[in-house]
Amino acid sequence: MKLAVIVQRYGAELNGGAELHARYVAEHLARHAEVEVLTTCATDYITWRNELDPGVERVNGVPVRRFPVSRERNVDEFGRRSVQVFEEPHSVAAELAWLRSEGPTSPSLINHLRRRGDAYDYCLFFSYRYYHAYHGIRVTGPRAVLVPTAERDPALGLGIFGGSFRGVRALMYNSHEERALISAISNNDAVPGVVVGIGSEVPAHPEPQRFRQTTGIEGPVLIYVGRIDENKGCHELFDYFQRYARLSPQLTLVLIGNPVMPIPTHSRIRHLGYVTDQEKFDAMAAADLLVMPSHYESLSMVTLEAWALGRPVLANGRCDVLCGQCIRSNGGLYYENYEEFAETLHSIVSNSTLRDALGMNGRAYFNTHYTWPVIERKYLDMLDRLEREDAAQVTRPEPLPIWGRRRRNLPPGRQVVDRLPTGPAARADGTRPTGRSAGNS
Amino acid sequence: MAEFNIQSDSVDVTRIMEQIRQRIREKRGRDYTEQQIRELATVKLERFLDPQQVRSDLVEHYRQLEPPAALEPIRYERPGPAPEPFDFDEHTIYASSRGTMGKLIRLIRKLLNPILKLFLNPTPVVFALSRQAEINAWTLQLLQQQTDLAERVTKQFERAGAKFAAREELDALNYEVLNNLVVEMTRLSVDMKNHRSLVESVAGRLDFDERRARALESVVQHRSPQPSPGEDGERASSTASGRTRRRRRRPRRRPGAATTADDGTNNDTATAAGTPSETAPTAPPPDTATRPVGTTVPDAVPPRHYGATPPPAPVVEPSAPPPETTPPPPSAASSPDPEPPTPAVPPVADAGAPDPPPTPQTSGQQRDAPAPATAPATETVAPTSPTGDASTDEQ
Repeated sequence: MKLAVIVQRYGAELNGGAELHARYVAEHLARHAEVEVLTTCATDYITWRNELDPGVERVNGVPVRRFPVSRERNVDEFGRRSVQVFEEPHSVAAELAWLRSEGPTSPSLINHLRRRGDAYDYCLFFSYRYYHAYHGIRVTGPRAVLVPTAERDPALGLGIFGGSFRGVRALMYNSHEERALISAISNNDAVPGVVVGIGSEVPAHPEPQRFRQTTGIEGPVLIYVGRIDENKGCHELFDYFQRYARLSPQLTLVLIGNPVMPIPTHSRIRHLGYVTDQEKFDAMAAADLLVMPSHYESLSMVTLEAWALGRPVLANGRCDVLCGQCIRSNGGLYYENYEEFAETLHSIVSNSTLRDALGMNGRAYFNTHYTWPVIERKYLDMLDRLEREDAAQVTRPEPLPIWGRRRRNLPPGRQVVDRLPTGPAARADGTRPTGRSAGNS
Repeated sequence: MAEFNIQSDSVDVTRIMEQIRQRIREKRGRDYTEQQIRELATVKLERFLDPQQVRSDLVEHYRQLEPPAALEPIRYERPGPAPEPFDFDEHTIYASSRGTMGKLIRLIRKLLNPILKLFLNPTPVVFALSRQAEINAWTLQLLQQQTDLAERVTKQFERAGAKFAAREELDALNYEVLNNLVVEMTRLSVDMKNHRSLVESVAGRLDFDERRARALESVVQHRSPQPSPGEDGERASSTASGRTRRRRRRPRRRPGAATTADDGTNNDTATAAGTPSETAPTAPPPDTATRPVGTTVPDAVPPRHYGATPPPAPVVEPSAPPPETTPPPPSAASSPDPEPPTPAVPPVADAGAPDPPPTPQTSGQQRDAPAPATAPATETVAPTSPTGDASTDEQ
């Protein structure tokens, strides 16, 4: 079986969510099938500038074929078109123009799929919202398998993506919430799908004492791992933590990751910058809990890693995925305002029984659903199922209208997404969790 | 921040979150929103009626806090006179103002009109200009109305501004009144505390006097029906000699009591101390009235000074500490008295001895003190009880 993994960027040094996800999947599926990665020459997701050479290279033993990006992103144009399609009634032509402005526009990659796509049994497209996935799905047709990595953002409400969700052979979801979201917006229940997620390589014996000795941090530790960005909820985290630190001055907030926003100067906030994986896992093992303040996550890998290390998680309850995972795993608490932040944080930090119980549940949840053997098996089972099914019955992505493309009859993307149901998805037993606003629209 | 009861093998995050949210609601007291809580906190900060928080320069303080914004006066200048409307009709374009010559010119223009129409059609122009003239007249009328309306609104604003100015003055007066009210309230509060202490002091003294008077009455009633002739003669001779003779009685001796002193001083001291050996029964025996004077009455109150009026109780300041009670003699306290101890009821105070001062107390203590309704009056007269059991009654 020959598989193609198509993703917007690829490289051993890239730590973006979908890109890392694609690399892990490609490397693990390479043990069971012939895998080739098709990607662009870009490494910067803001400009999509061609920084790598086109052609074939190997990354961790996996062949990677790179194609140049025909035009860099014009940030002003992209911003203007984003406002147009997200906030105003617009046309199909406006959405296609937005897709081109978003990039990475690589016609050569699409042409390769058009000419050589038959050489692959299945094409795994990562991230529905980019140029390569939208056009690649239409080129490869019944061989396309989509890993959408969708979040609750306005791009999901654009009309052009409904066909992508309905016109692929299968969908590999990251979470139950993502599946419910896509199902609600595209009515693609007929398309085979499975909630897979991603595994993580967690060392069996991290050394928390090494982290303590290196950094000199004592006392309870709250750790955040990821890009320090306002879009990730870090501003709210800093605000809440500084208020909480007045009540409990023993707790230390440790930040790991590259900052794209100013970090407040506070005696209990320690920024360690970018660290190696070993240092990261040492720090996570030394921490009392992990905090994940992001509002939008399709799957938080660092959350899964914390659970793999037996550490509880304090998540933002406004993020349906994180809230649902906490409820399903019983491995973490969540908050929606400062009062809940303070109460939940204090409960976990001060109550070792609760902390250990949440950590144990999280570890069991990880071992059951997110170890690599489980992930690989889900992918292989899905591909086997697709082999058995008749590909001729697959619905092709509906063609775009030839006439009326410029008719402004599409609602704003944000408005469409706001109408979707919110809250954590149903549990495995069918019961609806009594979370934040389950079922509310 | 309370803890949870966690069973490690059955953690339910949903239930824990419900508990946390319930606790937050309980902390808030009610389901107030964040905004409502902040508003309430803001209101609580304005504690005008707390006398300790009010400053003497309250009015100036608030004037500094909220200085009245200087309102810019609205300057309305009436525009100049409107231009005269120009009447335009279909003949205007041919008209001339040159009198007779003008009539000729108008005639020529009329005649040349068909030629003009070969180049352009003046009819729509005439129509448009006529309509524009009508529009101009209508606009002028509308502007006139708007000008009148603006003048009226300006006058209304001026009146509202005057009202606001008056309101600000009234606010200042309100603050002054509030300040005075707070000062008076503080003064009344202090006065009330002083009066409460005074009333408690007077009530204590009155209570003591009543009990003493009741005890005196019982003694007088006990003695006055059968005065002996000898005693009357003796009292008369004493009166005649100008001095009062004190009749002393020897206290009843008990077996084992170490009473060796025969003079009255020791006996008086012991009596005043209210030792158990000299305490009286709560009520006189029925045959007391018929018993001759001088005979010993077991366990009876020694009738002392029944012929002399006890001096009034000295006025004691409420803050004066109560005098130390005289402990009973060790011998009397340790004597193996076969009789059961009688209640610690001392006899009526000696005329020469000072009255025990009433101990000032709070009204709360008075309310809390048990008041046995059926107890004899004499039982409550125990101002110097060594055991302290009757201290509350005394107070």
